[in-house]
Amino acid sequence: MEKAKISAYQLFVLIVLFELGSALLVPIAIEAKQDAWLAILLGTAGGFFLYLVYYGLFHYYPDILPTEYMQKIVGKPFGKLLAFLYILYFMYLAARMLRVFGELLITFAYPRTPLFILNALFLVVIIYTLRKGIEVVARTGELLFVILFLLTISGFMLIVISGLIDLHNLQPVLEEGMLPAVKTVLTRTLYFPFGEAIVFTMILPYLNQSKKAKLTGVYAIGLSGLTLTLIAVLNISVLGINLTTRSQFPLLSTIQTIQIGGFLERLDVYFMLFLILGGFFKISLFFYGAVAGTANLFNFKEPSKLAYPIGIAILLVSMTISSNYAEHINEGIRLIMLPIHLPFQVIIPVLLLIIAFFKHRKKRGK
Amino acid sequence: MPPFFKYKKQKGHTDQSKDTRDSENHHVPELIDPSLSVNLDIIKQKTGHSSDIIVRTIITGNTPLHKASVVYVDGLVDTQAINDSLIEPLQTNHDLLEMLYQQDELDKFTKEFISLGSVHPVTNWDELFLTLMSGDTIILIDGSNKAWSASAKGGERRSIQEPSTQVSVRGSKESFTESIGTNIAMVRRIISNPDLWIESMKIGNVTRTDVSIMYINGIAKTEVVDEVRKRLKRINIDSILESGYIEQLIEDQTITPFPTIFTTERPDITAGNLLEGRVAIFVNGSPDALLAPALFIGFFQAVEDYYSRYDIATATRFIRVLAFFISLIGPAAYIAITTFHQEMIPTQLLIIVAAQRDSVPFPAFVEAIIMEIAFEILREAGIRMPKVIGSTISIVGALVIGQGAIQAGIVSPATVIVVAITAIANFATPSYTVAISARLIRFLFMISAAVFGFYGIILGFIMLVVHLVSLRSFGVPYMTPLAPFIPKNIGDTIIRTPLWAEKLRPRLISSTDNPVREGENQKPTPPKSRGMKKKNTR
Repeated sequence: MEKAKISAYQLFVLIVLFELGSALLVPIAIEAKQDAWLAILLGTAGGFFLYLVYYGLFHYYPDILPTEYMQKIVGKPFGKLLAFLYILYFMYLAARMLRVFGELLITFAYPRTPLFILNALFLVVIIYTLRKGIEVVARTGELLFVILFLLTISGFMLIVISGLIDLHNLQPVLEEGMLPAVKTVLTRTLYFPFGEAIVFTMILPYLNQSKKAKLTGVYAIGLSGLTLTLIAVLNISVLGINLTTRSQFPLLSTIQTIQIGGFLERLDVYFMLFLILGGFFKISLFFYGAVAGTANLFNFKEPSKLAYPIGIAILLVSMTISSNYAEHINEGIRLIMLPIHLPFQVIIPVLLLIIAFFKHRKKRGK
Repeated sequence: MPPFFKYKKQKGHTDQSKDTRDSENHHVPELIDPSLSVNLDIIKQKTGHSSDIIVRTIITGNTPLHKASVVYVDGLVDTQAINDSLIEPLQTNHDLLEMLYQQDELDKFTKEFISLGSVHPVTNWDELFLTLMSGDTIILIDGSNKAWSASAKGGERRSIQEPSTQVSVRGSKESFTESIGTNIAMVRRIISNPDLWIESMKIGNVTRTDVSIMYINGIAKTEVVDEVRKRLKRINIDSILESGYIEQLIEDQTITPFPTIFTTERPDITAGNLLEGRVAIFVNGSPDALLAPALFIGFFQAVEDYYSRYDIATATRFIRVLAFFISLIGPAAYIAITTFHQEMIPTQLLIIVAAQRDSVPFPAFVEAIIMEIAFEILREAGIRMPKVIGSTISIVGALVIGQGAIQAGIVSPATVIVVAITAIANFATPSYTVAISARLIRFLFMISAAVFGFYGIILGFIMLVVHLVSLRSFGVPYMTPLAPFIPKNIGDTIIRTPLWAEKLRPRLISSTDNPVREGENQKPTPPKSRGMKKKNTR
């Protein structure tokens, strides 16, 4: 563990930026059609539950990283294996995100730039940041959060002013009952974006007031859930359900429709700012989870130096993970949701929490 | 053994022998000799018979013959004062001097008859030369193994003038001079409080420059004061010629374009910062005081913000921050838009710009870089050029480079406009040191914009933010109170809240024991009746 402390507000900012990072840009919960907003809200409730599970683990072991307490909970050999799997999981997620962002950039702004160059450049910036430690990541978050927040508000105002919102697009509500929404939650929104907060188990031990961890996380997830809901409502009401379903990046399509006074139009840079800033935090935090976990598991004295080898690994994985974007998205939806996300984000943490609970009760009983 | 090891060892050896030789040369006579002529010889030898060392020998008694000498450096002392209050008493009080001399109580004489500010005895040569060279006058009396150093500093100095770089419309028109005593007095005049503490030291093995640190006891953080003191004590260098030397030797992070120590030439800015808990460092010979710890936002706070009303101050501060952004990414954004994101420009404007750029042979990046470099050369030339030929440069700059380049079709008018706006925006930053770093970083942004468009600019911006938040100035994060976010101190950042609303001193800078800077209910509330209170007439 590096010697660092972050404040509750910084944790809040990091969680919000992390949750919004990629979920703002790509279509989420669109399987629930007009009820996407409901699916996201229900997903938020699931997010609360998952966060409380992660918090429960942190509550039992407030001073050590998960890679260490896993060994305490399930024994050394098995715990080490589990910790190693989590490190690989974080690296894999970082590589996935990197690929998505590279592909997004290629699709909408740089069709002729090689993916490798875009990804490598992004990773250079992230490595530079991680070399400076979690405190700097947190402070960067604080500054950029304000900028993103102002951008969001101004973007929202622009959409409202340009009179594009048509709430009729949201009807009919619950056309086929609750089932599609619930199904979407259980197969999609619970894991992406809310379950990904598992990486914050690697960051919670740095909190300077561990008492505030619970409320801060809940507020942050609540705020991000509300924002995502709002954006989903916005996208569907502006574009209509047909267009939103078919769009690769609904938010981009929405922003592109803004036209005010024949002057404020084609504000793609808005989207690019969201894209890069959000992606920056999402990848940085997964990457940080991998770096901190590796350093902790293998007793590395200087975690920051691990940023180079792990960064190169992430870059290479991001290139070879799939042969094109369609395949990548398909993998993301079909292949990893239930077989990988479900055990890593839900089953293992819940099991760990149950074992930890009984272990601690036994200790207290003595 | 590999040769470089040998070399290293030899080098170490020679260093040692040099050291011993040095110490032989310097420290032969440690204490002052009773014989006046021996002492004078030592002084002459040590100063190499320099012509500005004035030695006046006076006969102080005839029976038996007694002599005393007054030694001073010409130009550093007030000759009038020495004549009136030092030489005259020595010449006139022969009998008394003789009596005290026999009783071995010469101290009493110097105390009672020499009417100069401070007189104190000196017994060893090191101290004697130190005081002599810093402008004190030395009295040597034959037969005494003590000398007396009397303070009668004087000589020609620059008088207090108006500030030349930190100009303000409202506020005091004083600026620091090269004399450390005057500078300290100017601050003392503003803060008339015994808690204003000053510590002095000499830094520089050869120059022996006076350096003072100043802080307000009880408001400044003890850790910061200790840290400043520790870093100053660490300095071991031959010379300190300007406060810039100290700044470079004590800053936290050397690999950064941003200054982590604030410099000012105004006493009122210094006083304001001392009252926020900062520590000031004065260096003799330098009209710039150093203030630490510095915050990034501090470089955008002009002194007038505090003197004018808050709404005006907030507006002007907004403009300054905006100008800083423009001066950072103005040309970069132009390059990115014209090369990568043409769709962002409204169609009418796009046609105009495209028509202009049609005849230009270079890509936007080359165009912009040519103009930027030309402008930087103009500016650099303008600073060091004799004032008499100033008009030449404006003619060359405006006509030849501006108009000529466009008419020749080398650059497009749009580029010139962008470069000019950037240049003017750069001057809007109140602090010259931060403006310079913006100039430097601008070129990096231009390159990344030319290669990757807005993607490059945004990544560059993230890197800039990461770099800024990773900096520290004497342990305080550079971007405080924005990151780490301190809501209570946000009132004096990009906005400035009214004076009556800023109840607390900056939290991470000033001492935590004494954070409140003003009483309750400072918001002015005029009386209910409309006019003034009526006089009791009739």
